[in-house]
Amino acid sequence: MDPVTVGVVGSLLLFVLLLLGIPIAFSLMLVGFLGTACLASIDAALPMMARTVYESASHYPYTIIPLFIVMGTYAEISGISRDLYETFDKWLRRFPGGLGMATIASIAGFSAISGSSVASSAAFGKVAYPEMRRFNYSRRLAAGTVAAGATIDFLIPPSLGFVIFGMLTEQSIGKLLVAGVIPGLILAAAFMVILYVWVKFNPDSALSSPKEVSWKVKVAALRGIWETLVIFLLVVGGIYTGVLTPTEAAGVGATLLFIITAAKRKLTTKTLLASLYESIRISVMVLFLVAGANVFSYFLALSTIPMKMSMWIGGLPVSKYVILAIIVFIYLVLGCFLDAISMMILTLPVIFPVVVKLGFDSIWFGVICVLMMGAGLITPPMGLCVFTVAGIAEDASLEEVFQGALPFVTAILFVAFLITVFPQLALVLPGMMGR
Amino acid sequence: MERLDALREKLQTINRWVAGVGACFLIPLMLITAADVVGRDVFNHPIPGVIELSQYLLAVSILLGLAYTQQIKGHVGVSILVSRLSARAQLMVSLFGSLLGLFLFILLAWQGLVVGLEKKTVSDMLRVPQYPFRLLVAVAAFLTFLELLIDLGSSIQKLGRTES
Repeated sequence: MDPVTVGVVGSLLLFVLLLLGIPIAFSLMLVGFLGTACLASIDAALPMMARTVYESASHYPYTIIPLFIVMGTYAEISGISRDLYETFDKWLRRFPGGLGMATIASIAGFSAISGSSVASSAAFGKVAYPEMRRFNYSRRLAAGTVAAGATIDFLIPPSLGFVIFGMLTEQSIGKLLVAGVIPGLILAAAFMVILYVWVKFNPDSALSSPKEVSWKVKVAALRGIWETLVIFLLVVGGIYTGVLTPTEAAGVGATLLFIITAAKRKLTTKTLLASLYESIRISVMVLFLVAGANVFSYFLALSTIPMKMSMWIGGLPVSKYVILAIIVFIYLVLGCFLDAISMMILTLPVIFPVVVKLGFDSIWFGVICVLMMGAGLITPPMGLCVFTVAGIAEDASLEEVFQGALPFVTAILFVAFLITVFPQLALVLPGMMGR
Repeated sequence: MERLDALREKLQTINRWVAGVGACFLIPLMLITAADVVGRDVFNHPIPGVIELSQYLLAVSILLGLAYTQQIKGHVGVSILVSRLSARAQLMVSLFGSLLGLFLFILLAWQGLVVGLEKKTVSDMLRVPQYPFRLLVAVAAFLTFLELLIDLGSSIQKLGRTES
């Protein structure tokens, strides 16, 4: 049989299985296995599956995934989120929507030590949401700010999004992580502008602000950020200078947070066990997805579809930016239905070769992808960050959180546009890296 | 029926414990990574074989957590269409899904055993044999298979109830 035909049939079968709600990892593995059995032989396909599972579960660079996740959970337990919020609150409270801005700024700070958006939406759902509600911020504004703000965590390193992208495309994870710093800060600034505009045009949504505090108090409050700063400098500085590999940096960061959390006496057997279970659940989910994707990619490569597809799209007589816009649009739509990681795993094997063929920079495209993964975390009907915030903020309904987060999607698209026009924003830091 | 429920609960408890043991391996994984950095950059004495140790530690925690992740339905799927179906149709679909999963994991358990037993490889520096860790694939797949059997059983049970 023609390999392309088998590839198309396999992809359709995958689509049907996904629609039936079969776990994505299982669907990928099953179709990949059947397809490989068809195109190569059953004797090749059978052991390939078992080998891929072991190799995905024991690949050294992947140790970064559980390490980044425990960093996030320890950071959440340690109460650093509260310290950060209290600091930024003192500095930003007088602006229109100032508590929201403080939330965005402290999430950006928290992102520097946490690798998962869900951890930061949970942490700030507990810390910042009640505070904003206390000062009569509308439920929509308060919950939307926390949910959308958590997407910053995907861009500012440590970040799981870049790790996944790097794993799937074999790009340098260190460079990707460093590339996210500036776009992440721009995104935080863009979120604050959105808050400012929102509150200017709807003063009812943020009725009151807390009283101004003296400069002395403001300066004293800066103490609340030193732990975050130290960990960030060690972890990201270590990667940037090339002293540490990303995995080593994750190990150092996790150990430091572990010690800080223990020193603050926040680490009980119960919280530790809960964070370990949480970390295992996410790591297994991710790595089994990766194993499934690897089995499927094996089959896809045999079908020659990715190669032919990128040749065809690369030969289309349209501007490469039109194709990029289409890709971004596809991600925006897919992000509504798929979780961020599955979205990358399902699309990158085909889309990445196309993007490279079109002559885009692969690190730069990583930043675009992670931005779109972030958008997927807050767009309805499936938005992981929104679900988390709605679960914690008891008085806000799921709809309210989705509506509140939606205006921030424009900021994400704006940043994607901005770094397309000025790719240097993403590429200048990785270009100067030590290694 | 009660004996079956007791068995099911026992199995789920075992899988939770297995995952808990696997999860605890994340702590040494974290510590040796950091200790290696400190040892290398500060004392000029890296930990020998830290990469292969990390690989084994990761394999243990991930593979032992596989069945538990199935138990708590931690493997993500797309629910957009299925959630709109009738309760009965949803059960049929989940029954079909369990059957596919059973097929996949019995293959994995069998092949995990075959591939595991034929591997004679040892790790580069510490000469730790690889096959015990490879065999964990078979163990993990078998435990997940049992979890899927539980899912299948409960789907059938519920289907029987909707019919009567």
